[in-house]
Amino acid sequence: MDGFLEYVPGNSFLHRLNPVTKIAFAIMFAIACFCTGNLVFLCLMLALGLALAASCSMMRQTLGLMRAVLAFSLVLAVLLLLTTPKGDLLVELPWGYIGSDSILAAVVTVIRLEAAAIPLFLTFYVTKMTDLSNSFVKVLHVPYRYAFTFASTVHFIPVFMNDMRGIMEAQTARGVEFDQGGMVRKIRLMVPLCVPLLISSVRKTNSSAIAAEVRGFNLRTRESGYKRYPMTGADWAVIALGVVVLAAAIALSLL
Amino acid sequence: MIEIEDLTFQYRESDAPVIEDMSLSIPSGAFAGIIGAAGSGKSTLTYALNGIVPHCYPGDFYGSVRIDGNDTCDTTLTDLSQMVGSVCQDIDSQFVSAVVEDEMLYGLENYGVPHDQIEGRVQEALEAMGIADLRQRLIASLSGGQKQKVAIASILAMRPSVLVLDEPTAELDPASSRNVFALLSHYAEAHGTTVVVVEQKIALLSEFTDLLVVVEAGRIRFAGAPEEVLAHSEELLEIGVNCPRCTTLMNRLAAGGLYAGPVCTDVPSACRALCEVAA
Repeated sequence: MDGFLEYVPGNSFLHRLNPVTKIAFAIMFAIACFCTGNLVFLCLMLALGLALAASCSMMRQTLGLMRAVLAFSLVLAVLLLLTTPKGDLLVELPWGYIGSDSILAAVVTVIRLEAAAIPLFLTFYVTKMTDLSNSFVKVLHVPYRYAFTFASTVHFIPVFMNDMRGIMEAQTARGVEFDQGGMVRKIRLMVPLCVPLLISSVRKTNSSAIAAEVRGFNLRTRESGYKRYPMTGADWAVIALGVVVLAAAIALSLL
Repeated sequence: MIEIEDLTFQYRESDAPVIEDMSLSIPSGAFAGIIGAAGSGKSTLTYALNGIVPHCYPGDFYGSVRIDGNDTCDTTLTDLSQMVGSVCQDIDSQFVSAVVEDEMLYGLENYGVPHDQIEGRVQEALEAMGIADLRQRLIASLSGGQKQKVAIASILAMRPSVLVLDEPTAELDPASSRNVFALLSHYAEAHGTTVVVVEQKIALLSEFTDLLVVVEAGRIRFAGAPEEVLAHSEELLEIGVNCPRCTTLMNRLAAGGLYAGPVCTDVPSACRALCEVAA
């Protein structure tokens, strides 16, 4: 299975880590990326992210994510180029100029977003949503209803994406040309499809809520969870690595 | 076990009652089948049994539904769910986990089943539905039939005293449908579980159920042993319920005075009856 944000089974080091460790490391990693603008450090972070992806055989999915993030970050990069005149003048603009530091800021933005996204993305692919929510309840003492809400939200993302794909295929079969024209035309064609998607989404979430309730959702306590999520030495080591990475990023930003 | 008295229910947004003046008694340990044309109120009847109506879908509710003496209106949905296990029509919306094992654990964890009993219950339910080998599989990778079995097994693991299933074989081929009914029947018999199943495949219902209920426009048209109900094959056809062809054939022979034996609900009994007629 390789649907968006759907768990990919495996037995890699990342798969075996405690879910809390994975999400904590991913958050520290992302914060570290945003703490510093040091390009070398960010490139190292990107390399580390890619190494993590390779360690759990998730390179193909990661490269797909990087393409999507690139499209988004390029927009930001262009905006930065055009609106932050810094460094040596390279190109004169009517409202300012593009400088050498503008290019650096744009590159840093792209690398930073790419690097920050990878561990967060990997966490969802190597962790079952139920393990993530159950470990939040067991280890972090998060109330079950909030953990379940979070897990359900992520659980429904691929479901709704599949629904949208189905609706688009049905419309394509009726002659709507989603593959013709540019992005604006495609978006214009997709807007009316949001209505049936919204209706089916509301129905699905309602049915799911009822199904959960008739299986004792309201009775759940922290103690009733069957699986245990002990923190092992490897978990503490990974958290320590996250702290070191974060501290290094903060130190670089202060230098 | 299940007592329905003068039940009438109208959804808030609808103009007419979906269920009207319905009374039915299902004894403990019975295997009851409900059949009827689309829109006749079958699913709403299952909602009334598991308490979804009126707790989740508001509307005008008259009469009473009692499960083991507990009025579904006065009992919370959570308390009801400890007695009544439900498998809904849209099984995909029932799943809350990505992996079969986690789906099995969900209800058991919620009900606080002692941890030393959980493994045994999970394994027993998986084996009862013949899907022990699917335990570590991703639900998204299963076929429609396998998903149906997982949905049923996850409810069986909770050991409800009443099991309500809404079209549990909708996505199954005839052989798999029969297999599911046989497994359910065997499990219910072994555990004394009362089963209420909405189903369109009347041949299956006539083979496995003790009580067959035919619903027409929110009212019970026929209720009784399958042989009694299937004796009305012509009327059933008029309300959109097809009897097994062997039953229709033998009923027509009986109407023509050529056969005077009991109603034939399956092919072997019809064959035997035809041999007798021919002799």
